[in-house]
Amino acid sequence: MAVKQLPSSRAVIALLAAALLLYPLILSDPFYRDVGVTFLLAAIAASAWNIVGGYAGQVSVGHSMFFGVGAYAPLLLYTRWGWPPIAGIPAGMVLAVGLALLIGAPTFRLTGHYFSMATIAVAELIRIFFGTWDTVGAAIGLQGPATARGWWDLTFRSELPYYYIFLAALAILLLTTAAIERRRFGFYLRAIKASERAARSLGVPVRQTKMQALALSAAFTSVAGSLYVVKTGFIAPDSGFGILISVQMVIVAALGGAGTLFGPLVGALTLVPLQTVTDNWFGGGGSGLTYILYGGIIVLIARFEPGGLFEMWHRLAPRLRKRAHA
Amino acid sequence: MPEKDNLLEATDVAKAFGNFLAVAGADLVVAENEIIGLIGPNGAGKSTFFNCLAGETMPTSGRIVFAGEDLTRATPEAHARAGIGRTFQVPITFTDMTVLDNVMVGAFLRHPHRNDAREKASRIVELTGLHAEQPARSLGTPGRKRLEIARVLATEPRLLLLDESLAGLTPAELRDAIALVRRIHEMGVTIVIVEHIMEVIMTLTQRVLVFNQGHVIASGTPETVVAEEAVIEAYLGRRHRRLAAGSQPSGQGR
Repeated sequence: MAVKQLPSSRAVIALLAAALLLYPLILSDPFYRDVGVTFLLAAIAASAWNIVGGYAGQVSVGHSMFFGVGAYAPLLLYTRWGWPPIAGIPAGMVLAVGLALLIGAPTFRLTGHYFSMATIAVAELIRIFFGTWDTVGAAIGLQGPATARGWWDLTFRSELPYYYIFLAALAILLLTTAAIERRRFGFYLRAIKASERAARSLGVPVRQTKMQALALSAAFTSVAGSLYVVKTGFIAPDSGFGILISVQMVIVAALGGAGTLFGPLVGALTLVPLQTVTDNWFGGGGSGLTYILYGGIIVLIARFEPGGLFEMWHRLAPRLRKRAHA
Repeated sequence: MPEKDNLLEATDVAKAFGNFLAVAGADLVVAENEIIGLIGPNGAGKSTFFNCLAGETMPTSGRIVFAGEDLTRATPEAHARAGIGRTFQVPITFTDMTVLDNVMVGAFLRHPHRNDAREKASRIVELTGLHAEQPARSLGTPGRKRLEIARVLATEPRLLLLDESLAGLTPAELRDAIALVRRIHEMGVTIVIVEHIMEVIMTLTQRVLVFNQGHVIASGTPETVVAEEAVIEAYLGRRHRRLAAGSQPSGQGR
Protein backbone atom coordinates (compact mmCIF):
# COMPACT_ATOMS: atom_id res chain seq x y z
CA MET A 1 0.00 0.00 0.00
CA ALA A 2 2.72 2.43 1.05
CA VAL A 3 4.78 1.48 -1.99
CA LYS A 4 1.84 2.09 -4.27
CA GLN A 5 1.24 5.55 -2.85
CA LEU A 6 4.82 6.68 -3.29
CA PRO A 7 4.90 7.60 -6.99
CA SER A 8 1.63 9.53 -6.79
CA SER A 9 2.68 11.51 -3.70
CA ARG A 10 6.00 12.25 -5.42
CA ALA A 11 4.08 13.56 -8.40
CA VAL A 12 2.00 15.79 -6.14
CA ILE A 13 5.16 17.18 -4.54
CA ALA A 14 6.75 17.84 -7.94
CA LEU A 15 3.58 19.56 -9.10
CA LEU A 16 3.44 21.70 -5.96
CA ALA A 17 7.12 22.66 -6.32
CA ALA A 18 6.55 23.65 -9.95
CA ALA A 19 3.48 25.69 -9.03
CA LEU A 20 5.40 27.53 -6.30
CA LEU A 21 8.32 28.21 -8.65
CA LEU A 22 6.14 29.53 -11.45
CA TYR A 23 3.47 31.33 -9.44
CA PRO A 24 5.02 34.84 -9.38
CA LEU A 25 5.94 34.60 -13.06
CA ILE A 26 2.44 33.69 -14.13
CA LEU A 27 0.61 36.02 -11.72
CA SER A 28 3.03 38.90 -12.06
CA ASP A 29 0.70 41.55 -10.61
CA PRO A 30 2.39 43.03 -7.47
CA PHE A 31 -0.73 42.24 -5.47
CA TYR A 32 -0.48 38.50 -6.19
CA ARG A 33 3.25 38.51 -5.62
CA ASP A 34 2.70 40.16 -2.26
CA VAL A 35 0.16 37.51 -1.33
CA GLY A 36 2.71 34.89 -2.41
CA VAL A 37 5.40 36.36 -0.19
CA THR A 38 3.00 36.56 2.75
CA PHE A 39 2.02 32.94 2.15
CA LEU A 40 5.67 31.79 2.12
CA LEU A 41 6.45 33.66 5.31
CA ALA A 42 3.43 32.13 7.08
CA ALA A 43 4.45 28.69 5.80
CA ILE A 44 8.04 29.09 7.00
CA ALA A 45 7.03 30.25 10.47
CA ALA A 46 4.38 27.54 10.87
CA SER A 47 6.72 24.81 9.59
CA ALA A 48 9.35 25.96 12.07
CA TRP A 49 6.77 25.87 14.88
CA ASN A 50 5.67 22.45 13.65
CA ILE A 51 8.93 20.79 14.72
CA VAL A 52 8.27 21.29 18.41
CA GLY A 53 4.56 22.13 18.39
CA GLY A 54 3.43 19.54 15.85
CA TYR A 55 5.82 16.61 15.88
CA ALA A 56 6.70 16.77 19.58
CA GLY A 57 3.24 17.99 20.56
CA GLN A 58 4.59 20.77 22.77
CA VAL A 59 2.11 23.49 21.83
CA SER A 60 4.05 26.72 22.27
CA VAL A 61 1.93 29.83 21.92
CA GLY A 62 4.97 32.02 22.51
CA HIS A 63 6.96 31.40 19.37
CA SER A 64 6.80 35.12 18.55
CA MET A 65 9.69 35.42 21.01
CA PHE A 66 11.94 33.65 18.49
CA PHE A 67 10.37 35.44 15.53
CA GLY A 68 10.98 38.77 17.27
CA VAL A 69 14.58 37.96 18.14
CA GLY A 70 15.16 37.04 14.51
CA ALA A 71 13.46 40.25 13.38
CA TYR A 72 15.34 42.57 15.71
CA ALA A 73 18.82 41.07 15.19
CA PRO A 74 19.36 42.28 11.57
CA LEU A 75 18.16 45.83 12.26
CA LEU A 76 20.10 46.06 15.50
CA LEU A 77 23.31 45.12 13.66
CA TYR A 78 22.43 47.66 10.98
CA THR A 79 21.61 50.60 13.27
CA ARG A 80 24.57 49.94 15.61
CA TRP A 81 27.34 49.01 13.20
CA GLY A 82 25.90 49.53 9.75
CA TRP A 83 26.00 45.83 8.89
CA PRO A 84 23.85 44.61 6.02
CA PRO A 85 20.63 43.29 7.58
CA ILE A 86 21.13 39.83 6.10
CA ALA A 87 24.15 39.36 8.40
CA GLY A 88 21.64 39.36 11.23
CA ILE A 89 20.18 36.03 10.18
CA PRO A 90 22.87 33.85 11.80
CA ALA A 91 23.05 36.23 14.76
CA GLY A 92 19.30 35.91 15.25
CA MET A 93 19.52 32.11 15.03
CA VAL A 94 22.21 31.99 17.71
CA LEU A 95 20.23 34.30 19.99
CA ALA A 96 17.02 32.34 19.42
CA VAL A 97 18.71 29.04 20.27
CA GLY A 98 20.15 30.64 23.42
CA LEU A 99 16.71 31.92 24.35
CA ALA A 100 15.19 28.49 23.64
CA LEU A 101 17.61 26.76 25.99
CA LEU A 102 17.00 29.39 28.67
CA ILE A 103 13.20 29.23 28.33
CA GLY A 104 12.97 25.49 27.72
CA ALA A 105 14.55 24.47 31.01
CA PRO A 106 11.78 25.91 33.22
CA THR A 107 8.80 25.71 30.84
CA PHE A 108 9.31 22.04 29.94
CA ARG A 109 8.66 21.25 33.59
CA LEU A 110 5.07 21.96 32.58
CA THR A 111 2.97 19.97 30.16
CA GLY A 112 -0.17 20.52 28.11
CA HIS A 113 -2.06 23.78 28.57
CA TYR A 114 0.26 24.87 31.36
CA PHE A 115 3.22 24.74 29.01
CA SER A 116 1.27 26.76 26.42
CA MET A 117 0.33 29.40 28.98
CA ALA A 118 3.89 29.69 30.24
CA THR A 119 5.16 30.31 26.71
CA ILE A 120 2.55 33.04 26.21
CA ALA A 121 3.67 34.71 29.43
CA VAL A 122 7.35 34.66 28.47
CA ALA A 123 6.68 36.07 25.00
CA GLU A 124 4.52 38.83 26.43
CA LEU A 125 7.20 39.73 29.00
CA ILE A 126 9.77 40.01 26.24
CA ARG A 127 7.42 42.16 24.15
CA ILE A 128 6.83 44.54 27.03
CA PHE A 129 10.53 44.62 27.83
CA PHE A 130 11.45 45.51 24.23
CA GLY A 131 8.83 48.26 24.34
CA THR A 132 10.77 50.03 27.08
CA TRP A 133 14.35 49.22 26.04
CA ASP A 134 15.98 52.22 24.33
CA THR A 135 18.75 50.27 22.60
CA VAL A 136 16.15 48.55 20.44
CA GLY A 137 14.14 51.70 19.88
CA ALA A 138 11.63 51.06 22.67
CA ALA A 139 8.02 51.41 21.48
CA ILE A 140 9.05 52.89 18.11
CA GLY A 141 11.30 50.00 17.16
CA LEU A 142 14.07 49.90 14.57
CA GLN A 143 14.36 50.84 10.92
CA GLY A 144 16.51 49.33 8.20
CA PRO A 145 18.35 51.04 5.35
CA ALA A 146 16.01 53.50 3.63
CA THR A 147 17.76 53.08 0.30
CA ALA A 148 19.98 50.19 -0.66
CA ARG A 149 23.71 50.85 -0.28
CA GLY A 150 24.38 47.84 -2.48
CA TRP A 151 22.83 44.53 -3.45
CA TRP A 152 23.86 43.07 -0.08
CA ASP A 153 21.28 45.21 1.70
CA LEU A 154 18.62 43.18 -0.11
CA THR A 155 16.26 46.10 -0.55
CA PHE A 156 14.42 45.45 -3.77
CA ARG A 157 11.55 47.39 -5.22
CA SER A 158 10.12 44.22 -6.74
CA GLU A 159 8.63 41.41 -4.67
CA LEU A 160 10.17 38.84 -6.95
CA PRO A 161 13.62 38.43 -5.31
CA TYR A 162 12.01 38.18 -1.88
CA TYR A 163 9.66 35.54 -3.17
CA TYR A 164 12.49 33.30 -4.32
CA ILE A 165 14.63 33.92 -1.22
CA PHE A 166 11.67 32.94 0.97
CA LEU A 167 10.93 29.94 -1.21
CA ALA A 168 14.52 28.74 -0.84
CA ALA A 169 14.27 29.10 2.95
CA LEU A 170 11.02 27.13 2.97
CA ALA A 171 12.59 24.39 0.84
CA ILE A 172 15.56 24.07 3.22
CA LEU A 173 13.22 23.92 6.20
CA LEU A 174 10.97 21.26 4.64
CA LEU A 175 13.96 19.16 3.59
CA THR A 176 15.29 19.38 7.15
CA THR A 177 11.90 18.36 8.54
CA ALA A 178 11.66 15.46 6.09
CA ALA A 179 15.09 14.26 7.23
CA ILE A 180 14.02 14.52 10.87
CA GLU A 181 10.87 12.52 10.14
CA ARG A 182 12.91 9.57 8.97
CA ARG A 183 15.48 9.56 11.75
CA ARG A 184 15.51 8.43 15.33
CA PHE A 185 14.98 12.05 16.42
CA GLY A 186 11.69 12.18 14.51
CA PHE A 187 10.48 8.88 15.94
CA TYR A 188 11.34 10.12 19.43
CA LEU A 189 9.41 13.35 18.88
CA ARG A 190 6.28 11.45 17.84
CA ALA A 191 6.69 9.06 20.77
CA ILE A 192 6.95 11.99 23.18
CA LYS A 193 3.82 13.52 21.69
CA ALA A 194 1.89 10.29 22.20
CA SER A 195 3.10 9.52 25.72
CA GLU A 196 6.12 10.83 27.59
CA ARG A 197 5.71 8.05 30.12
CA ALA A 198 5.87 5.28 27.54
CA ALA A 199 8.69 7.03 25.68
CA ARG A 200 10.75 7.22 28.87
CA SER A 201 10.19 3.54 29.58
CA LEU A 202 11.82 2.77 26.22
CA GLY A 203 14.89 4.83 27.03
CA VAL A 204 13.93 8.01 25.15
CA PRO A 205 15.76 10.95 26.75
CA VAL A 206 12.60 13.04 26.88
CA ARG A 207 13.88 16.34 28.28
CA GLN A 208 16.92 16.42 26.04
CA THR A 209 14.90 15.56 22.94
CA LYS A 210 12.34 18.27 23.68
CA MET A 211 15.10 20.83 24.19
CA GLN A 212 16.72 19.91 20.89
CA ALA A 213 13.38 20.21 19.12
CA LEU A 214 12.71 23.60 20.69
CA ALA A 215 16.20 24.87 19.79
CA LEU A 216 15.86 23.76 16.17
CA SER A 217 12.36 25.17 15.93
CA ALA A 218 13.53 28.46 17.48
CA ALA A 219 16.40 28.77 15.00
CA PHE A 220 14.09 28.42 12.00
CA THR A 221 11.42 30.68 13.51
CA SER A 222 14.10 33.30 13.95
CA VAL A 223 14.95 32.98 10.25
CA ALA A 224 11.29 33.72 9.49
CA GLY A 225 11.55 36.87 11.61
CA SER A 226 14.78 37.93 9.90
CA LEU A 227 13.32 37.41 6.44
CA TYR A 228 10.25 39.38 7.39
CA VAL A 229 12.34 42.34 8.51
CA VAL A 230 14.73 42.17 5.57
CA LYS A 231 11.70 42.68 3.37
CA THR A 232 9.69 45.21 5.39
CA GLY A 233 12.68 47.19 6.68
CA PHE A 234 11.28 48.02 10.11
CA ILE A 235 10.27 46.30 13.30
CA ALA A 236 8.41 47.28 16.48
CA PRO A 237 7.53 45.30 19.62
CA ASP A 238 4.07 44.40 18.34
CA SER A 239 5.09 43.34 14.84
CA GLY A 240 7.99 41.31 16.29
CA PHE A 241 6.68 39.83 19.53
CA GLY A 242 2.91 40.28 19.27
CA ILE A 243 0.78 37.34 20.35
CA LEU A 244 -0.99 37.23 16.98
CA ILE A 245 2.29 36.13 15.42
CA SER A 246 2.44 33.12 17.74
CA VAL A 247 -1.23 32.36 17.29
CA GLN A 248 -0.91 32.50 13.52
CA MET A 249 1.85 29.88 13.57
CA VAL A 250 -0.31 27.55 15.68
CA ILE A 251 -3.38 28.05 13.53
CA VAL A 252 -1.65 27.69 10.18
CA ALA A 253 -0.01 24.45 11.30
CA ALA A 254 -3.10 23.05 13.00
CA LEU A 255 -5.37 23.99 10.11
CA GLY A 256 -3.31 22.02 7.63
CA GLY A 257 -2.27 19.30 10.05
CA ALA A 258 0.21 19.70 12.91
CA GLY A 259 2.96 17.10 12.96
CA THR A 260 2.84 16.44 9.23
CA LEU A 261 5.44 17.62 6.72
CA PHE A 262 3.09 19.55 4.45
CA GLY A 263 0.41 20.43 7.00
CA PRO A 264 1.71 23.98 7.59
CA LEU A 265 1.96 24.50 3.83
CA VAL A 266 -1.66 23.47 3.33
CA GLY A 267 -2.67 25.65 6.27
CA ALA A 268 -0.90 28.70 4.87
CA LEU A 269 -2.35 28.01 1.44
CA THR A 270 -5.82 28.15 3.00
CA LEU A 271 -5.46 30.88 5.59
CA VAL A 272 -3.42 33.52 3.75
CA PRO A 273 -5.83 33.94 0.81
CA LEU A 274 -8.73 33.92 3.27
CA GLN A 275 -7.06 36.65 5.29
CA THR A 276 -6.30 38.68 2.18
CA VAL A 277 -9.91 38.54 1.13
CA THR A 278 -11.27 39.64 4.50
CA ASP A 279 -8.66 42.41 4.71
CA ASN A 280 -9.76 43.68 1.33
CA TRP A 281 -13.44 43.57 2.18
CA PHE A 282 -13.13 45.44 5.40
CA GLY A 283 -10.06 47.56 4.71
CA GLY A 284 -8.06 48.93 7.62
CA GLY A 285 -11.10 48.76 9.87
CA GLY A 286 -11.06 44.99 9.60
CA SER A 287 -7.84 44.43 11.51
CA GLY A 288 -9.73 43.30 14.59
CA LEU A 289 -11.41 40.78 12.34
CA THR A 290 -8.21 38.73 12.28
CA TYR A 291 -8.85 37.79 15.89
CA ILE A 292 -12.38 36.72 15.08
CA LEU A 293 -11.20 34.70 12.10
CA TYR A 294 -8.50 32.98 14.18
CA GLY A 295 -10.94 32.31 17.00
CA GLY A 296 -13.45 30.82 14.58
CA ILE A 297 -10.83 28.58 13.01
CA ILE A 298 -9.64 27.36 16.41
CA VAL A 299 -13.20 26.40 17.32
CA LEU A 300 -13.78 24.63 14.01
CA ILE A 301 -10.51 22.66 14.13
CA ALA A 302 -10.96 21.67 17.77
CA ARG A 303 -14.57 20.63 17.29
CA PHE A 304 -14.55 18.89 13.92
CA GLU A 305 -11.10 18.09 12.65
CA PRO A 306 -8.32 17.98 15.28
CA GLY A 307 -6.03 16.39 12.69
CA GLY A 308 -6.40 19.32 10.31
CA LEU A 309 -7.27 19.47 6.63
CA PHE A 310 -4.58 16.96 5.75
CA GLU A 311 -6.10 14.22 7.86
CA MET A 312 -9.56 15.11 6.66
CA TRP A 313 -8.34 14.60 3.11
CA HIS A 314 -6.80 11.24 4.00
CA ARG A 315 -10.09 10.15 5.50
CA LEU A 316 -12.29 11.42 2.71
CA ALA A 317 -10.11 10.63 -0.32
CA PRO A 318 -10.73 6.85 -0.33
CA ARG A 319 -14.50 7.41 -0.03
CA LEU A 320 -14.49 9.90 -2.90
CA ARG A 321 -12.45 7.54 -5.01
CA LYS A 322 -14.88 4.74 -4.29
CA ARG A 323 -17.78 6.94 -5.25
CA ALA A 324 -16.03 7.89 -8.50
CA HIS A 325 -15.57 4.23 -9.34
CA ALA A 326 -19.15 3.30 -8.53
CA MET B 1 28.08 -9.43 49.29
CA PRO B 2 26.19 -9.55 45.97
CA GLU B 3 26.35 -12.91 44.31
CA LYS B 4 27.69 -12.97 40.81
CA ASP B 5 24.73 -14.43 38.96
CA ASN B 6 22.11 -12.27 40.63
CA LEU B 7 20.69 -9.93 38.04
CA LEU B 8 18.58 -7.81 40.35
CA GLU B 9 18.82 -7.19 44.06
CA ALA B 10 16.17 -5.06 45.69
CA THR B 11 16.89 -4.68 49.38
CA ASP B 12 14.41 -3.37 51.96
CA VAL B 13 12.61 -1.22 49.38
CA ALA B 14 9.99 1.04 50.96
CA LYS B 15 7.74 3.68 49.46
CA ALA B 16 5.60 6.07 51.44
CA PHE B 17 2.98 8.42 49.98
CA GLY B 18 2.53 10.90 52.82
CA ASN B 19 1.57 8.82 55.81
CA PHE B 20 0.59 5.83 53.72
CA LEU B 21 3.22 3.17 53.46
CA ALA B 22 2.52 1.52 50.10
CA VAL B 23 5.54 -0.78 50.27
CA ALA B 24 6.98 -1.50 53.70
CA GLY B 25 10.42 -2.91 53.09
CA ALA B 26 10.31 -5.53 50.35
CA ASP B 27 13.24 -7.69 49.30
CA LEU B 28 13.61 -9.36 45.95
CA VAL B 29 16.61 -11.13 44.53
CA VAL B 30 16.28 -12.26 40.95
CA ALA B 31 18.78 -14.63 39.40
CA GLU B 32 19.59 -14.53 35.70
CA ASN B 33 16.88 -16.23 33.61
CA GLU B 34 14.30 -16.70 36.36
CA ILE B 35 10.58 -16.01 35.99
CA ILE B 36 9.13 -14.51 39.12
CA GLY B 37 5.50 -13.70 39.86
CA LEU B 38 4.19 -10.92 42.06
CA ILE B 39 0.66 -11.52 43.32
CA GLY B 40 -1.60 -10.06 45.94
CA PRO B 41 -4.91 -8.23 46.27
CA ASN B 42 -5.43 -4.79 44.70
CA GLY B 43 -3.69 -2.09 46.69
CA ALA B 44 -1.26 -4.57 48.22
CA GLY B 45 1.74 -2.56 46.99
CA LYS B 46 2.87 -4.81 44.18
CA SER B 47 2.37 -2.14 41.52
CA THR B 48 4.24 0.44 43.57
CA PHE B 49 7.06 -2.03 44.13
CA PHE B 50 7.02 -2.80 40.42
CA ASN B 51 7.23 0.90 39.58
CA CYS B 52 10.20 1.23 41.91
CA LEU B 53 11.95 -1.53 39.97
CA ALA B 54 11.16 0.24 36.67
CA GLY B 55 12.46 3.57 37.94
CA GLU B 56 9.16 5.35 37.65
CA THR B 57 8.71 5.68 41.40
CA MET B 58 11.65 6.60 43.58
CA PRO B 59 11.77 4.48 46.73
CA THR B 60 11.66 6.32 50.05
CA SER B 61 14.34 3.96 51.33
CA GLY B 62 16.12 0.81 50.32
CA ARG B 63 18.42 -0.05 47.47
CA ILE B 64 17.98 -1.45 43.98
CA VAL B 65 21.01 -2.88 42.24
CA PHE B 66 20.78 -4.22 38.71
CA ALA B 67 23.68 -6.06 37.10
CA GLY B 68 26.04 -4.47 39.59
CA GLU B 69 24.73 -0.96 38.94
CA ASP B 70 22.90 1.02 41.64
CA LEU B 71 19.65 2.19 40.04
CA THR B 72 17.84 3.23 43.22
CA ARG B 73 17.58 6.89 42.18
CA ALA B 74 17.94 6.49 38.43
CA THR B 75 15.38 7.73 35.87
CA PRO B 76 13.16 5.41 33.80
CA GLU B 77 15.37 6.21 30.79
CA ALA B 78 18.42 5.01 32.70
CA HIS B 79 16.59 1.82 33.66
CA ALA B 80 15.81 1.15 30.03
CA ARG B 81 19.41 1.77 29.02
CA ALA B 82 20.66 -0.51 31.80
CA GLY B 83 18.43 -3.26 30.44
CA ILE B 84 15.20 -3.18 32.43
CA GLY B 85 12.11 -3.10 30.23
CA ARG B 86 8.51 -2.78 31.34
CA THR B 87 4.94 -2.86 30.12
CA PHE B 88 2.02 -0.89 31.56
CA GLN B 89 -1.05 -2.23 33.27
CA VAL B 90 -3.21 -0.12 30.97
CA PRO B 91 -1.29 -0.30 27.68
CA ILE B 92 0.13 2.97 26.38
CA THR B 93 0.85 2.64 22.68
CA PHE B 94 1.84 5.44 20.32
CA THR B 95 -1.57 5.54 18.68
CA ASP B 96 -0.74 7.73 15.67
CA MET B 97 2.03 5.38 14.54
CA THR B 98 2.01 2.00 12.85
CA VAL B 99 2.90 -1.17 14.73
CA LEU B 100 6.34 -1.21 13.12
CA ASP B 101 7.02 2.45 13.99
CA ASN B 102 6.01 1.78 17.59
CA VAL B 103 8.47 -1.07 17.83
CA MET B 104 11.14 0.99 16.07
CA VAL B 105 11.02 3.56 18.88
CA GLY B 106 12.14 0.76 21.19
CA ALA B 107 14.70 -0.58 18.71
CA PHE B 108 16.36 2.83 18.35
CA LEU B 109 17.71 2.47 21.90
CA ARG B 110 20.39 0.00 20.80
CA HIS B 111 20.34 0.73 17.06
CA PRO B 112 20.59 4.46 16.39
CA HIS B 113 20.52 4.04 12.62
CA ARG B 114 17.18 3.74 10.94
CA ASN B 115 17.83 0.67 8.82
CA ASP B 116 19.26 -1.32 11.74
CA ALA B 117 16.34 -0.29 13.95
CA ARG B 118 13.85 -1.20 11.25
CA GLU B 119 15.42 -4.61 10.74
CA LYS B 120 15.42 -5.33 14.46
CA ALA B 121 11.84 -4.13 14.80
CA SER B 122 10.65 -6.21 11.83
CA ARG B 123 12.06 -9.36 13.37
CA ILE B 124 10.30 -8.66 16.65
CA VAL B 125 7.00 -7.79 14.99
CA GLU B 126 7.18 -11.16 13.28
CA LEU B 127 8.09 -12.97 16.50
CA THR B 128 5.13 -11.47 18.33
CA GLY B 129 2.70 -12.20 15.50
CA LEU B 130 1.71 -8.59 14.82
CA HIS B 131 1.18 -6.83 11.48
CA ALA B 132 3.86 -4.26 10.75
CA GLU B 133 1.80 -1.74 8.80
CA GLN B 134 -1.30 -1.85 10.97
CA PRO B 135 -2.02 1.48 12.69
CA ALA B 136 -1.66 1.08 16.47
CA ARG B 137 -4.94 2.97 16.83
CA SER B 138 -6.86 0.09 15.30
CA LEU B 139 -5.62 -2.53 17.76
CA GLY B 140 -7.85 -3.89 20.49
CA THR B 141 -6.67 -4.34 24.06
CA PRO B 142 -5.01 -7.75 23.46
CA GLY B 143 -3.21 -6.32 20.42
CA ARG B 144 -2.06 -3.30 22.37
CA LYS B 145 -0.68 -5.47 25.14
CA ARG B 146 1.15 -7.55 22.58
CA LEU B 147 2.48 -4.41 20.91
CA GLU B 148 3.77 -3.17 24.25
CA ILE B 149 5.64 -6.41 24.73
CA ALA B 150 7.07 -6.17 21.21
CA ARG B 151 8.08 -2.56 21.74
CA VAL B 152 9.91 -3.23 24.98
CA LEU B 153 11.54 -6.37 23.55
CA ALA B 154 13.06 -4.17 20.89
CA THR B 155 15.05 -2.38 23.61
CA GLU B 156 16.75 -5.76 24.21
CA PRO B 157 16.08 -5.92 27.94
CA ARG B 158 17.85 -8.36 30.24
CA LEU B 159 15.01 -8.04 32.71
CA LEU B 160 11.43 -7.70 31.56
CA LEU B 161 8.78 -6.40 33.95
CA LEU B 162 5.30 -7.39 32.80
CA ASP B 163 2.45 -5.53 34.51
CA GLU B 164 -0.70 -7.60 34.00
CA SER B 165 0.16 -8.00 30.34
CA LEU B 166 -1.97 -11.11 30.09
CA ALA B 167 -5.10 -9.76 31.77
CA GLY B 168 -8.35 -9.44 29.87
CA LEU B 169 -7.57 -12.04 27.22
CA THR B 170 -9.81 -14.82 25.96
CA PRO B 171 -8.65 -18.37 26.80
CA ALA B 172 -7.21 -18.81 23.29
CA GLU B 173 -5.41 -15.45 23.40
CA LEU B 174 -4.14 -16.32 26.86
CA ARG B 175 -2.60 -19.57 25.59
CA ASP B 176 -0.83 -17.66 22.81
CA ALA B 177 0.37 -15.02 25.24
CA ILE B 178 1.75 -17.60 27.65
CA ALA B 179 3.56 -19.24 24.75
CA LEU B 180 4.99 -15.86 23.78
CA VAL B 181 6.27 -15.18 27.29
CA ARG B 182 7.85 -18.65 27.29
CA ARG B 183 9.60 -17.90 24.02
CA ILE B 184 10.91 -14.61 25.38
CA HIS B 185 12.18 -16.44 28.44
CA GLU B 186 13.89 -19.01 26.24
CA MET B 187 15.67 -16.15 24.48
CA GLY B 188 17.44 -15.57 27.79
CA VAL B 189 15.31 -12.74 29.19
CA THR B 190 14.65 -12.72 32.92
CA ILE B 191 11.03 -11.92 33.74
CA VAL B 192 9.14 -10.46 36.68
CA ILE B 193 5.41 -10.60 36.17
CA VAL B 194 2.54 -9.01 38.08
CA GLU B 195 -0.59 -11.02 37.43
CA HIS B 196 -3.96 -11.83 38.89
CA ILE B 197 -4.55 -14.83 36.68
CA MET B 198 -3.44 -17.81 38.74
CA GLU B 199 -3.10 -20.01 35.67
CA VAL B 200 -0.33 -17.73 34.40
CA ILE B 201 1.41 -17.74 37.76
CA MET B 202 1.13 -21.51 38.13
CA THR B 203 2.28 -22.37 34.61
CA LEU B 204 4.92 -19.73 34.01
CA THR B 205 6.67 -18.74 37.19
CA GLN B 206 9.37 -20.48 39.13
CA ARG B 207 9.00 -18.37 42.24
CA VAL B 208 6.22 -16.20 43.62
CA LEU B 209 6.11 -13.24 46.00
CA VAL B 210 2.80 -12.54 47.67
CA PHE B 211 2.10 -8.95 48.71
CA ASN B 212 -0.44 -7.84 51.24
CA GLN B 213 -0.78 -4.38 52.77
CA GLY B 214 2.71 -3.38 51.70
CA HIS B 215 4.40 -6.48 53.07
CA VAL B 216 5.67 -9.61 51.40
CA ILE B 217 3.67 -12.21 53.29
CA ALA B 218 4.96 -15.27 51.50
CA SER B 219 7.45 -16.37 48.90
CA GLY B 220 8.50 -19.63 47.34
CA THR B 221 7.54 -21.92 44.50
CA PRO B 222 3.99 -21.42 43.20
CA GLU B 223 2.91 -24.79 44.61
CA THR B 224 4.07 -24.06 48.16
CA VAL B 225 2.80 -20.47 48.13
CA VAL B 226 -0.78 -21.29 47.11
CA ALA B 227 -0.95 -23.83 49.88
CA GLU B 228 0.01 -21.34 52.57
CA GLU B 229 -2.76 -20.41 54.93
CA ALA B 230 -1.83 -16.69 55.01
CA VAL B 231 -1.98 -16.45 51.21
CA ILE B 232 -5.36 -18.14 51.01
CA GLU B 233 -6.63 -15.84 53.73
CA ALA B 234 -5.33 -12.61 52.16
CA TYR B 235 -5.72 -13.23 48.48
CA LEU B 236 -6.83 -16.49 46.98
CA GLY B 237 -9.82 -17.28 49.10
CA ARG B 238 -11.03 -20.80 49.88
CA ARG B 239 -12.27 -21.59 46.41
CA HIS B 240 -8.82 -21.29 44.93
CA ARG B 241 -7.41 -24.08 47.07
CA ARG B 242 -7.89 -26.50 44.20
CA LEU B 243 -5.58 -24.32 42.09
CA ALA B 244 -2.72 -26.01 43.81
CA ALA B 245 -3.60 -28.79 41.41
CA GLY B 246 -3.59 -26.22 38.61
CA SER B 247 -6.91 -26.67 36.85
CA GLN B 248 -8.77 -23.33 36.91
CA PRO B 249 -8.41 -21.58 33.52
CA SER B 250 -9.63 -18.08 34.41
CA GLY B 251 -8.49 -16.12 37.40
CA GLN B 252 -9.44 -13.38 39.76
CA GLY B 253 -9.69 -9.69 39.05
CA ARG B 254 -11.65 -7.91 36.37
